[in-house]
Amino acid sequence: MLETLKFIIPGLGITVSVTAIALGLGLLAGIIMAVCRVYGGPVLSALAGAYSILVRSLPVVVIIFVLFFVIAELVDLSPFLSGAIALGFASGAYQCEIFRGAINSVPRSQMVAARAIGMSRFKAVRTIILPQAVRLALPAWANEVTLVLKDSSLVYVIGVPEIMRRAQYVSASTMKPFVAFGSAALLYLVLTLLASRLLEKVEQRFSIQM
Amino acid sequence: MKVKAVKRIAIVAVAVMTVMGAAGASLAGDLLQSVKERGKLIVGTSADYPPYESVDASGNFVGFDMDIIREIGKRMGVKVVIKDMGFDTLITALQAKKIDAVIAAMQYSPERDEKVDFSIVYRKISDAFLVKADSPITLNSPEDIAAYKVASQTGTIQEKWMLKNLVDTGKMKKNQAFSYERVDNAAMDVAAGRIDVLFIQSDPAESLAEKSGLKIALISKETVVAGQCIAVPEGEKGLKAEFDKLIEAMRADGTIQKITDKHGLK
Repeated sequence: MLETLKFIIPGLGITVSVTAIALGLGLLAGIIMAVCRVYGGPVLSALAGAYSILVRSLPVVVIIFVLFFVIAELVDLSPFLSGAIALGFASGAYQCEIFRGAINSVPRSQMVAARAIGMSRFKAVRTIILPQAVRLALPAWANEVTLVLKDSSLVYVIGVPEIMRRAQYVSASTMKPFVAFGSAALLYLVLTLLASRLLEKVEQRFSIQM
Repeated sequence: MKVKAVKRIAIVAVAVMTVMGAAGASLAGDLLQSVKERGKLIVGTSADYPPYESVDASGNFVGFDMDIIREIGKRMGVKVVIKDMGFDTLITALQAKKIDAVIAAMQYSPERDEKVDFSIVYRKISDAFLVKADSPITLNSPEDIAAYKVASQTGTIQEKWMLKNLVDTGKMKKNQAFSYERVDNAAMDVAAGRIDVLFIQSDPAESLAEKSGLKIALISKETVVAGQCIAVPEGEKGLKAEFDKLIEAMRADGTIQKITDKHGLK
């Protein structure tokens, strides 16, 4: 078990970085798309809606394949980067829905009021709507973190040696799948626990007493 | 407004496809030449199949296939770079020219030959039929498995043989053929008694049998279509000829035999 863990652990860094890049990209895409959907006017709203429904209807593996075999043909992307970007692109659609819900929970009358005192739409979104919406989105976002963490195991299909792929190596050479995948599960459990504790702290730190 | 958006998306889509088509066309050429120019042969494998390809404790790719391809690289005067990916992805990666060649205990088959080209056989193989260590089942020919519940690995030549020769001809019921993503999972089900026979290539069979409480009931060459070959992108005749020449030479001077012995293969 110890040796198995020792072999799998180098994959930990890759899993964490793939997850972090994907979450970061997804966060950026998600927030922008969510704002577009709610306050973006008909064209932007339709585009953001199309992105969200299209990407959510595709299995993540398909997105990884398309990015690696089609897009990376034009731009030279390493498997690591195209895997992380594909995951971020997928997560962006889910995060778009998370933030859309959160933005909708902030009463529209606040937007009207902000406009009435002369703020631009952009400034109102940035300083009035988003600070409240992001706080509301945090619990759902923490859930998305754990989902992306596990989806990151899918990048093995294009040859990124993260935790699951390294567990497969061990399983294949020792013929002890329970030990290999048990060790992988243990690592995912530790990562998930750490991430949720961290996000709970963030939630407490930024909570507003109403 | 919405019509406009749709139009815009359509224009972008057409533009992307045009660029992709152009890029695809410009890639066709002499792969052997470009491999030699860049001094690197990029080879795809799926490193979860010892003794052919696996990863050792320090993270190096090792195994029979790895030694073969490194020797080929040495004789070509280029460095061999191994890229690991899922077995199902290898042919796609080769078609997209992400890699120059595939060595992954892959056998020639007419279906695969439509998508990529194959070198001559670098290793002849046999197939094995495994049963539980205390099983009373005896097999005299591959057709005998028709009476039992049989497992094979998804997408392998063995699975194809079983479906074509036994299931399609009505000798075996369709629900007796089981397909597993991974061989070790299939072995576990045989050991647990859910499946009667495991049908795989014979080289990994011995260690698999020993480790998972199975025994070999029959070894046969009847079910083998070809043998293991190196795959190259469709139409890359230069690279294929180079591989053929080197495999021939390595067989003649005993190098292949030496590598075979080194990995305890027969």
